[in-house]
Amino acid sequence: MKLKIKLTNCLYTLPVYLVSCLFLLQTTTLYAQDSTGVAKELTAPLKAKPVKNTFDGTWIIDDQTVMVPVKGTFQVDIMHRFGTVGNGYQDLDGVFAPANIRLGVNYSPINNLYLGIGITKADLLWDGNAKYAIIKQTKGESPVSITYFGDLAYNTTLDPDHSNFPHTTDRITSYNEIIIARKFNDKFSLQIAPTLSHQNSVNGYYTQIDSAGTKVFEEMKHDQFGLAVAGRYKISESTAIIVDYDQPITQQPTNNPHPNLAFGFEFTTSGHTFQIFMGNYQLINQSHDNLYNTNNPFGYTDANGTKVKGGQFCIGFNISRLWNF
Amino acid sequence: MKRKLILVSSVLAVCMMSFAFTIIQQPKPWPVPEKDAKMANPVKSNAESISAGKALYNLHCSSCHGKKGLGDGSKAAQLKTTPQDMSKADYQSQSDGALFYKISEGRGDMPSFKKKIPDAEDIWNLVNFVRTLKK
Repeated sequence: MKLKIKLTNCLYTLPVYLVSCLFLLQTTTLYAQDSTGVAKELTAPLKAKPVKNTFDGTWIIDDQTVMVPVKGTFQVDIMHRFGTVGNGYQDLDGVFAPANIRLGVNYSPINNLYLGIGITKADLLWDGNAKYAIIKQTKGESPVSITYFGDLAYNTTLDPDHSNFPHTTDRITSYNEIIIARKFNDKFSLQIAPTLSHQNSVNGYYTQIDSAGTKVFEEMKHDQFGLAVAGRYKISESTAIIVDYDQPITQQPTNNPHPNLAFGFEFTTSGHTFQIFMGNYQLINQSHDNLYNTNNPFGYTDANGTKVKGGQFCIGFNISRLWNF
Repeated sequence: MKRKLILVSSVLAVCMMSFAFTIIQQPKPWPVPEKDAKMANPVKSNAESISAGKALYNLHCSSCHGKKGLGDGSKAAQLKTTPQDMSKADYQSQSDGALFYKISEGRGDMPSFKKKIPDAEDIWNLVNFVRTLKK
């Protein structure tokens, strides 16, 4: 009698036991599929990713770098160039002399595109700029990164009698460059950029104005080609040595702009980039620097035999702060 | 007299208890959604990943969490919540997915990094580096 009951019980409990086993097995299998499924997806051979952090900021002293931050980045720039050194203690090597300042903001509306506006003290110069990362250095695909940068600058100084700027468009200068950069290793990156600066108006004077005709001598050409080279070498996780050299190529009839040799340090944190340096460019805006720089790094003797003094450096700093929205 | 004694001792007991709770208070627990905690780390923990994670850690994390993750960074004293000691077992016992979630989402003093570090692979590299801080 007792045996019968036991068997019945077993019969009932056995299916329950089996079903619960199945349940357990099922859930375990599902769990395994979940995690290994996700893992398999992401460890499958991926397309090679572009190298990161060729440069740690969008500026390298007076030049733009190839870097375009991710979509949704908002950046504020504060840039200073103090007076030239040479007066020694009287103006603390230019630090207490009148300084040129630029305040700028940038925003990345879509990936690879950066748009910005800024205002510079010298010439009350408004500038609007755009930067586009065309190619990014990627292992197996491209050995270099290539970025386009363009800037339009508008001089807003007062000119009540229209002697400096007879037309509104005379106040405009433009700047275009293609920046080519390579990150050689985690410490060292280098970039080179052919540049083209353009000024809408130049000063000139009549060399001939008579019945035979008129001839005008333009003091400068409208276009100025140049070459900009810059590099950074990291000496620690967040500190780097930065160097920037800008060489004018076009020979101007008069007022030949001088080259720029600048070197300094860069300090990076999670949200800020600080650069402190010495260089010859003082106008901050690239078209103005390339066209009108009068600070000379190297002494030389000119065609007339006049000795031109060099060493006209000024201390400066750039601060950039980035937010990600 | 007995009543007075009971009153005084009960007031003392309440005071001690409230004081005691403030001292032994544990850091506010940070629950992670199960789905995120179960996420597997797809990035192999090799030298390359750890070195990439270390660079990111030094740039974004060390100012609060300290160089070795002990919660002794230069900004730590100003924080409302003390960062947990990353070298200890109770921090390291979290899953990789839980660490990924916390870095991405942030909470309170801890910023959210999913926009600043938009590449998921970079956050996994950070997770791989943080594992090496275990003592």
